Amino acid sequence: MDSLKEDLKKQIIEQLNLEDLQVSDIDDNSLLFSAEGVGLDSIDALELIVLMEKFYGIQVTNPDEGKDAFLTINTMADYIEKKRNQ
Amino acid sequence: MNFITSCCRITEKNCLINGRIVAHKIEDSPESWFKQLYKHLALEYPKFYKMDMLSQAGFLASEYLKKEYPEFINSYADDEIALLFANQESSADTDIRFKDSYRDHKSPSPSLFVYTLPNIVLGELAIRNKLYGENMFAVLPKFAPDFFLQYGNILLSTGSKALMAGWLGVLDGKVEVSVFLVERDKDNRMPFSEENMIKCFSDQA
Amino acid sequence: MAVKITGLGIISAIGNTVAENLWSLENSRSGIAPVNYLDSKRALLVGEVKYSNRDLADHLGIKSPPISRTSLLGLAAAREAWGSNRHTKELRSGIISATSVGGMDTTEQFYSHFLDQNNPDYSVLKCHDSGSTTERIAAELGISGYINTLSTACSSGANAIMLGARLIEQGKLDRVLVGGTDALANFTIDGFRSLMIYDENWCRPFDESRTGLNLGEGAAFLLLENDKSIRFSGNVPICCLSGWANAADAYHQTASSPEGTGATMAIQNAIEVSGLSALDISYVNAHGTGTKNNDLSESTAMINVFGDNLPDFSSTKPFTGHTLAAAGAIEAVFSVLAIQHGLIFPNLNYKNPISETGLVPITELQTQQPVLAVLSNSFGFGGNNSSLVFSVHR
Repeated sequence: MDSLKEDLKKQIIEQLNLEDLQVSDIDDNSLLFSAEGVGLDSIDALELIVLMEKFYGIQVTNPDEGKDAFLTINTMADYIEKKRNQ
Repeated sequence: MNFITSCCRITEKNCLINGRIVAHKIEDSPESWFKQLYKHLALEYPKFYKMDMLSQAGFLASEYLKKEYPEFINSYADDEIALLFANQESSADTDIRFKDSYRDHKSPSPSLFVYTLPNIVLGELAIRNKLYGENMFAVLPKFAPDFFLQYGNILLSTGSKALMAGWLGVLDGKVEVSVFLVERDKDNRMPFSEENMIKCFSDQA
Repeated sequence: MAVKITGLGIISAIGNTVAENLWSLENSRSGIAPVNYLDSKRALLVGEVKYSNRDLADHLGIKSPPISRTSLLGLAAAREAWGSNRHTKELRSGIISATSVGGMDTTEQFYSHFLDQNNPDYSVLKCHDSGSTTERIAAELGISGYINTLSTACSSGANAIMLGARLIEQGKLDRVLVGGTDALANFTIDGFRSLMIYDENWCRPFDESRTGLNLGEGAAFLLLENDKSIRFSGNVPICCLSGWANAADAYHQTASSPEGTGATMAIQNAIEVSGLSALDISYVNAHGTGTKNNDLSESTAMINVFGDNLPDFSSTKPFTGHTLAAAGAIEAVFSVLAIQHGLIFPNLNYKNPISETGLVPITELQTQQPVLAVLSNSFGFGGNNSSLVFSVHR
């Protein structure tokens, strides 16, 4: 689970062009879409959907489903684990 | 009477303000030329990294101009500064990357698609500086000072009081950027004319 | 100071001429259908012009291929708008077109042939850039004065019209063809799908259940003339362009601000330039793409400007699809037709109002209406917002 979270952070940084950030800058519980957290926006949300498909084979067809899954690194990792075990 | 009150020129190797070199590309740096300029400006604006080359070019030139002339933006109401830009290649630099993204990764990248329009750079400048005035992007066969003069003068006589204008020639490593500020009645500067725009465009120092 | 409109030309999913478009609007005949002419992997709903490239080129008498679909569509509309006007050195003439796709409809096919090394036709590359699509149209029409191409996404067509009006008003040109053209391309369809704003079903602007747009293609041009040009041509003005404005939303690269800031300013300023008041507007042809974001933002802007006195409004995009750079021009032609024929066009597919605003568009064609002034909105990516006001010529 920890290496999954680390991989996720690396993938997010690369896919979303967050050059200024290091893996160590993203806290597992930081709110990804809050300005006080990682500050992602709606286009980044779409890129996360692409990332899910590309790296984990998971298709998020409903953007609202994504909203809950993408709150934090923790919720994203939980979501991936759940989908994998389905 | 309208005057050019500041100009910024960025080429593949140099960045000049009013004819003076302010930054020079470090060849053996791992960082790209635009990233070097961003770091040189010492800004805190992480959205820069998400921008495409065209938007980064416009952003950097405008930030250098603001650094040289800090009172510019605040001297005007938020809808009095117009944005007027043009180039020859439109958004081709990003169009190519977008095409590659869905050929190589089998799915189009939404964040790249966002930038496959040349006028998004206007949006970035408006967001950064909270500008609500007129904004225009034209695609022309080559740098056309007559277009800027004519359109610029129309803008300045129909409600706009200042312009941030210029040419953003960016494609595949080529960088031919010339951005200038135009204001009404500031008569200690260069008159807004085709000749003076050509002069700004040709600055090599 | 109003600018006179003396010519109209249009080609879209609902017709190849002004008359055909008018008929479709009057008979609620939409042009949206599964992809047919474009070589596309998906059977999405689109608003295609019902002409293959070969047939359109034949119809237009094109002697020197290659030519992009964007240019073909633009030429069809520009030619109709130009009509039988004559060239003369006495008048300063021009053409201002707008496009977002340029020749990409053609070069994206070249690209796959090139990658497969399957006899790629390099001459096609000459048609690629946005500026060359306009220059081709100008060359075919014999216009050699002022030629310009604007590219500001979905507000491009309106901006071309606005620039033409200003050049006439400032005495720089005597007559000018203004408009826009865009052909469908896989590039654009895939891009909009990646933003998750493409509706797999027929779009429903201003409806609570709306989930996105359907793309369309087409072109439209208007001929604007000053008095000197009208004395020469003898043309009778059809309508006037009396107001125009452009404003930045300064919010996001592809979404509109929830308060509709840029849209509100564009609408307000356009009405101000026209010298009319908000109460004088008979009909609003909305941008109304059918996306969650635009329709809410635009509704908010309309409430900001009109308050309780909202004029009849509708989006005609369920007829034509969202034609991108051509939209502002196509909808300008529709606005002129509304004035000319006393019509208010229906907003197809509407059932329930947007819960946040409760606005209800016109859903049935209204005839014999006193349509004296029409507001047409075109709001583009990059926060580029433009509005035009058309009024009856007296």
